[in-house]
Amino acid sequence: MKVSYNWLQNYFEERLPDPEKLADGIIFHSFEVESLEKVGDDVIFDIKVLPDRAHDCLSHWGIAKEVKAIFNLKLKEKEYKNFKSVSTNLNIKIESEKCFRYMGRIIRNIKIEKSPDWLKNRLETIGQKSINNIVDTANFVMFDLGQPIHCFDLDKLESEKIIIRNGKTGERITTLDKKEINLDESILVIADGSTGSPQANEVLAIAGIKGGMKAEVDNNTKNIIIEVANFDAVSIRKTSKKIGILTDAVKRYENEISPELCFQVMNEITNLILDIAGGNIEEIVDIYPKKLKQNTVFVSVEYINKRLGTYFLKEEIESVWEKLGFEYEEENGEFKILVPLLRIDITGPHDLAEDVIKILGYERIEGKLPKIEWSPKMNEKFYNISVARNKLLNDGYSEVMTYSFRNGGNVEVLASASDKNFLRINLTDGLEESLKLNQLNAPFLGMKEIKIFEIGTVFDKNKEMMHVAYGDNKNIVETSLENFVSEKIPTDYFDKKVLPFIDLGQNFEEQKFKPWSIYPFISRDIAVWIREEESSETLKKLLIENATELLVKEPFLFDSFTKEGKTSYAFRLVFQSFVRTLKDEEINEIMAKISHKISENSSWQIR
Amino acid sequence: MSEESKKGKEHPLSIIINEAVKIFTELGFEVATGPELEDIWHNFDALNIPKDHPARDMQDTFFIKGETDKVLRTHTSSVQIRYMENLVKSGGKPPFAIIAPGKCFRNEATDATHEMQFYQIEGLMIGEDIDMAHLKGTLSYFYKKILGSDVDLRFRPSFFPFTEPSIEFDLKFNGKWLEMGGAGMVHPNVLKNCGIDPIKYQGFAFGPGLERLMVIKYGMPDIRPAYQGDLRFNQF
Repeated sequence: MKVSYNWLQNYFEERLPDPEKLADGIIFHSFEVESLEKVGDDVIFDIKVLPDRAHDCLSHWGIAKEVKAIFNLKLKEKEYKNFKSVSTNLNIKIESEKCFRYMGRIIRNIKIEKSPDWLKNRLETIGQKSINNIVDTANFVMFDLGQPIHCFDLDKLESEKIIIRNGKTGERITTLDKKEINLDESILVIADGSTGSPQANEVLAIAGIKGGMKAEVDNNTKNIIIEVANFDAVSIRKTSKKIGILTDAVKRYENEISPELCFQVMNEITNLILDIAGGNIEEIVDIYPKKLKQNTVFVSVEYINKRLGTYFLKEEIESVWEKLGFEYEEENGEFKILVPLLRIDITGPHDLAEDVIKILGYERIEGKLPKIEWSPKMNEKFYNISVARNKLLNDGYSEVMTYSFRNGGNVEVLASASDKNFLRINLTDGLEESLKLNQLNAPFLGMKEIKIFEIGTVFDKNKEMMHVAYGDNKNIVETSLENFVSEKIPTDYFDKKVLPFIDLGQNFEEQKFKPWSIYPFISRDIAVWIREEESSETLKKLLIENATELLVKEPFLFDSFTKEGKTSYAFRLVFQSFVRTLKDEEINEIMAKISHKISENSSWQIR
Repeated sequence: MSEESKKGKEHPLSIIINEAVKIFTELGFEVATGPELEDIWHNFDALNIPKDHPARDMQDTFFIKGETDKVLRTHTSSVQIRYMENLVKSGGKPPFAIIAPGKCFRNEATDATHEMQFYQIEGLMIGEDIDMAHLKGTLSYFYKKILGSDVDLRFRPSFFPFTEPSIEFDLKFNGKWLEMGGAGMVHPNVLKNCGIDPIKYQGFAFGPGLERLMVIKYGMPDIRPAYQGDLRFNQF
């Protein structure tokens, strides 16, 4: 969510910490801040509000409350003007259990205009388009307080009646962005509540998701109904997916906002509209069948410290409740917390432990190693995999891992970001491809023969199996892990209580990966007769010294034999560049230079 | 030819997994395993991830055609559930500590740091007084062992339905802070779902990705060659 620094500042008398410091505070006490961007004289934070706090933090006010708690600041009281409201004929009827609260208010004789600069600016800095003063006000309040709002043109309704009901199959709505949506019983709608006329009962909006063209607020609108409502989160989410419309309203509703937010929101938007568009205000009609009950949670200082592994004092924990604005009572180190009605995420003491450590800071936890009394057992599957791997490594096979996804098989995934929709039925197909690839690279790899294996899961209808496959260019063998182990491994191996791992040696800590070039390599072989008593190292050194920087690997000794007091050493040289394709001629030149150097040693002879 | 060069070369991920398992088994953890093709209960429901909740969206899940109850596991956290269910079924109870390295799947586009298949290493320790300081100590010990003593660990707030508090942990390695993975104190609902009394017992869980650890440890620029069957990748 995009959050404006200047907008946040409005919540405080005191100067906020500078943007970087503010971002750091938010990162280590609340949410990840993905980026900071300077926009005009403002700074926009992209904050990744966590799903468990999306119900109360997808708004500037929500973030302001976090900032208040993190930096121990004081929130400014919002000042609302006094206005008189007159009685209303607005009639609201909720016919579906998916609507938890519906608050409506008529404002007459408003003046539709362009938004004032401050409002336009607020919306545009967080990437929203300005439309007109009414639509903008509704949008602004949503980004300010986190509650979606909808405004209808009252005069486009048949009467002053609104009904919240399930849609009907065959019904359609044209949305504000001119999409035709087919409705059905699963979709909650806001409809005209009148009866009799052909337009009666027509759908005005898809509840909580998108308004319709029928009652659109346009430049000629005089009288409006403001909707501040609360709907079932799961229903909104399912409908949004079904009809493929994801709005900022959906993002808030699907995270289950508290219905208690409605009143404050209605108050704020009424005030703003009065300020910006004028008008005569009617009374609120509030249908709220089941009022949300305030939750009480008990938590003790001991519980919090036991869970966190900390040594917080009662006073420190109390300071957290103060900063978060919780009402509480305390007796002998046990707190009775009256959970704020907007914090529907808090259901038990574990949730409060998280609030405590978030505010006091995770750096207050000092790491220590645990000790438990128990006897771990050997996991047979993991043991067998290790045994099989070591056996194959010792037999000269190198390990590969290939993709579990293939073009064919007996188990298919529903949708995939790739073109391979099936789970592999064997390891052999992957190994064959791997063998081909590695054979092309054989000179590069410094291997005479490519021998590879894979240990991995394969899938068939209703079952998965751990397989072992190994092979070379002649033949691949694939079998189940159990078979492989029972056939290939002596039984006394299993008396061991320790996992059999290959020793990594001393330099495990310093190993660094060497990326390879995407350009083709060229390999050349050279064989030289050397006096039997002489070491091949001298020759190797000469090769390295004269092969230039294009030599990408140490010369690989692939053959040697001795005859009549002389030994023939055959080395393979692999040349490659990271920036271009090499030409044969340049390698010929290098080889010629090497031959020349070798011939300078009278006792050596190129074969 | 020397004996050395006749031996095959291990895949770098296997080296990392084995090294990790070695370190954790020395700390008293037991290796646990579970299926890659999981049911909804073990992958979601038991882990306190309700149906139709935005939290399920945090993971791009591979569903299976024709099988409404099956998914490719999106995390090794499912092994936690299987282990605890079996423990309770066989009359056991905490304390215990398990480590579950395993392949997981997410349906997302691949790039230098994301693959549709990847390895996680799940850790779970439950006892009467296993706390968040133990989590910090254990992770710190592990990363110092595997990356060298010059690493620093820090926690940041996060959210996972199966832990409360939930954290994201970063490592300072070669002077840079790097995001490593998620962890937290096991949510009481998860213990309850497995038949373990959440009032008497508590503990931590963690589940960092192993490719991440591998690329950091070896300084690799890209994780994609890991699953291409390319032996140029086996350098160690």
